[in-house]
Amino acid sequence: MEPKIGVFLCNCGGAINNIDFDAAVKKVAKFPGVTCVNLSSDLCLEKGREKMISCIRGENIERVVVAACSPEFQEHIFRKVLEKAGLNDHLLSMANIREQCSWTHDGDVTEKAVELVKMAVNRVRLLQPMEKKELPVNREVLVVGGGFSASNTVLQLSRVGLRTTLLEKEAVLGAGTEELESFYGFDTGSMISAVEVDKNIEVLTSAQMTEVGGKIGDFSVRIRQEGGEILRKYGAIVLATGHQTELALDSEPQLRAEDEAISGLNIVSQEQFCCMLGNSGLETEPKTIGFMFDFSDENSRFTTLATLNNALAAKKKWGSEIYVFCKNVKVDSEGMEKLYREARDCGVVFLKSEAPPRITAENGRVKIEAKDVFLGEDVILACDVLVAEELYLPAEGAENLSSLLSIRRDSKGFFQDENVHLYPVGSEKKGIFFIGGCRGDLDLGRVLTDISSVVMKVHELLSSGKILVELEKVKADPQKCVACLTCIRVCPHGAIQLVRVDGSKEVAEISDLACDACGICAAICPAKAIKFQGYRDEEILAQIEAIQEL
Amino acid sequence: MNGCIVAFCCEHSAYPAADLAGKLRLHYPENIRVIRVPCAGRVDVIHILKALEKGAAAVLVLGCEDGACHHITGNTRAKERVKYCNMLLKEVQIDGRPVAMFNLSPNAPHKFVSAVNEITKIIKESGR
Amino acid sequence: MIIAERKPMEEIEQAMAPYKKVLVAGCGTCVAVCWAGGEKEVEILASQLRLARSAEGNEIVTLEATVERQCEKEMVAELKDKVAEVEAVLSLACGSGVQTMAELFEDKPVFPAVNTTFIGMPEKEGLWVEMCGACGDCVLDRTGGICPIVRCAKGLLNGPCGGTRKGGKCEIDPEKDCAWVLIYRRLEKQGRLDLMREYYSPRNFRAVKRPGRVQAVKA
Repeated sequence: MEPKIGVFLCNCGGAINNIDFDAAVKKVAKFPGVTCVNLSSDLCLEKGREKMISCIRGENIERVVVAACSPEFQEHIFRKVLEKAGLNDHLLSMANIREQCSWTHDGDVTEKAVELVKMAVNRVRLLQPMEKKELPVNREVLVVGGGFSASNTVLQLSRVGLRTTLLEKEAVLGAGTEELESFYGFDTGSMISAVEVDKNIEVLTSAQMTEVGGKIGDFSVRIRQEGGEILRKYGAIVLATGHQTELALDSEPQLRAEDEAISGLNIVSQEQFCCMLGNSGLETEPKTIGFMFDFSDENSRFTTLATLNNALAAKKKWGSEIYVFCKNVKVDSEGMEKLYREARDCGVVFLKSEAPPRITAENGRVKIEAKDVFLGEDVILACDVLVAEELYLPAEGAENLSSLLSIRRDSKGFFQDENVHLYPVGSEKKGIFFIGGCRGDLDLGRVLTDISSVVMKVHELLSSGKILVELEKVKADPQKCVACLTCIRVCPHGAIQLVRVDGSKEVAEISDLACDACGICAAICPAKAIKFQGYRDEEILAQIEAIQEL
Repeated sequence: MNGCIVAFCCEHSAYPAADLAGKLRLHYPENIRVIRVPCAGRVDVIHILKALEKGAAAVLVLGCEDGACHHITGNTRAKERVKYCNMLLKEVQIDGRPVAMFNLSPNAPHKFVSAVNEITKIIKESGR
Repeated sequence: MIIAERKPMEEIEQAMAPYKKVLVAGCGTCVAVCWAGGEKEVEILASQLRLARSAEGNEIVTLEATVERQCEKEMVAELKDKVAEVEAVLSLACGSGVQTMAELFEDKPVFPAVNTTFIGMPEKEGLWVEMCGACGDCVLDRTGGICPIVRCAKGLLNGPCGGTRKGGKCEIDPEKDCAWVLIYRRLEKQGRLDLMREYYSPRNFRAVKRPGRVQAVKA
């Protein structure tokens, strides 16, 4: 039996004024299956919606087409209307006769509008109802790491009532926080103590993940500690594994050749320099200091920040002469431009050169030569200490983690954001997040934003202990599936697994929780076994069928 | 009216871009029918072929910019399928009708409009 | 599984030229999995034929059907009614399937749309490689699970030919790995290199008499 279709057109309060609605209504009423056609001027407003509900009920309508504004705009509102009227909210199809018809074409567009309605009618005829269900999820969160980002995250998660496990591979927490302490004046010690006493936080040190399975709401993680392995379950996983830096000295081959002339102290990293600053027992205070950055990696926020902070600190503490060699100073972090001006006002000298400086040893001191762009000539500096250029890299073990969790990394080796602009803290697998240094070169402001974003998102997902899903929105028909594994291999969200049905046959099963409804699996399945409700082949082809004037 | 373009638009990029074109009252030819898909990667070769069989003058697939696909690999797969489709058409000497892929972001309505204009021009010039 | 590859389009078009109504028949097993002859490929091929013939002004009507396994008589028999309506059948199954179809419907010409190539497995997405030659005298026990019959270009049984290129590549095809290098490395991992010192006498190529017949012990 053909389902009864009701079509509701709207002129958006007169905003759609180049469609002859009377003519349109007459034509639409003749489409097969359409038993009721209504015209409104305010369908999305309360009055319009009430009328829609009573019409659906009164005429026993089983499928609804709304021809009005874009579905991107109001589809969810109309789905609620269907629900209120007693219909399954998936039995709705919208025709975009406003943004993609009336507003972009000159003159009368009635013909196109009618065709768009026909496309929607053809589709809605085939739509199948979809059930929703709340699936239980595990409320515990695994946070991997033990530094600033990780500790901050578990403290915030605890405050919103979620229990966490902090998993650190070293024996103690708080690695990599020295620089942050000196730059921002944090007291990481008290932060770590707060973590250790918090009842909602379990701290596991000298521990590593060896196996991860499952999906959002239900991850199974095998953790190896001294003395054995444990198996735990979590609803979400947050990676805060930080970064490491490496001196970019590969471009200076002559340095290694003259190793004896250059003792370890003359060329240092930013971190080592921080230690020197903090070392009250330093033998001799360096009188001339050189800094180098921005040559190998032009996107080094962290190094720029470190240089400015350290230069200022050295100036204030020792009053040394400080020269900074760089290509550019990019001040795209909060407060960075102010820092730069402060440094200049204090007398730190910035020298701009296009090519990296040449570095040699002379009389036990480091000699730097570079062609300054403004002076147009070579500048030669002999200094007591050179704080060399550093590369900002993902922490050791990032590659291993990414294959354990099956999440991608970007071209620099940092974890790949699901969407660089809109969803930077999420991986392509639902329920796995990353924050802080392991995402790439960040400054404190951005790190704090990351942490808040993730805490909010995890709280939203897990706090009620249930997640509402549409059941079997994308499903592999076990009768047709031949277990060729293609869908499992291509799913970008890792949402498909091989399971046994009827005790023997193996077929693909798509997790309602982890699936992000892209349809890539549905398109690629060689046996056409995967049905994606709303976007099945029939539903797409039916729209093409409706286009008359091809 | 001849010369219809069937355009598969992904809901994360091209569809909102087309909507934005409407909001900005940017104009483009009327002979285009948009089919909304959750990802360009949902579009299959048979959808394109059937549109051509029905008589479409051109078929477009519009998805996210390279490297920015909301579903990571959807736009790459769509591009490969469009390429494959063109090969299939060439095999049977039906390569006069454009089948093309465009990449754009949701805030680029001008890209949507220029894609439609570009293809409409090609169709007119080939005399369909 | 059996790997097949669609035939060049000219061959298929030429075969279909005299007919106005055909059945395009796919198979849902091996050829579906290797993307050569499943339901999707049937749809695409049928669409290509319709487009091409329509442009020539010589329309062709195509029926489409895919059975789970075209090498099973009972399954192919399900197509009886469709076959009755057409002048010829274009089968996308492997050679076994095409022949089953031809045997069941002796009065209708059955044309193959794919070339059956080898027994193989996916190396990566969309790439299938030959693994087994169905020689009837399996020697995988001695070679650490790597077949020298099909994976060595010369089918050698007693070690490499001596022409192995740098990087362990084959003398005949530098794109391919020398199977005997692979075998050596595998046996080395397993601590079974003594097998390399054993001499294996020349194959009995009559091991598989054509056409082959295998009688299973009744279950």
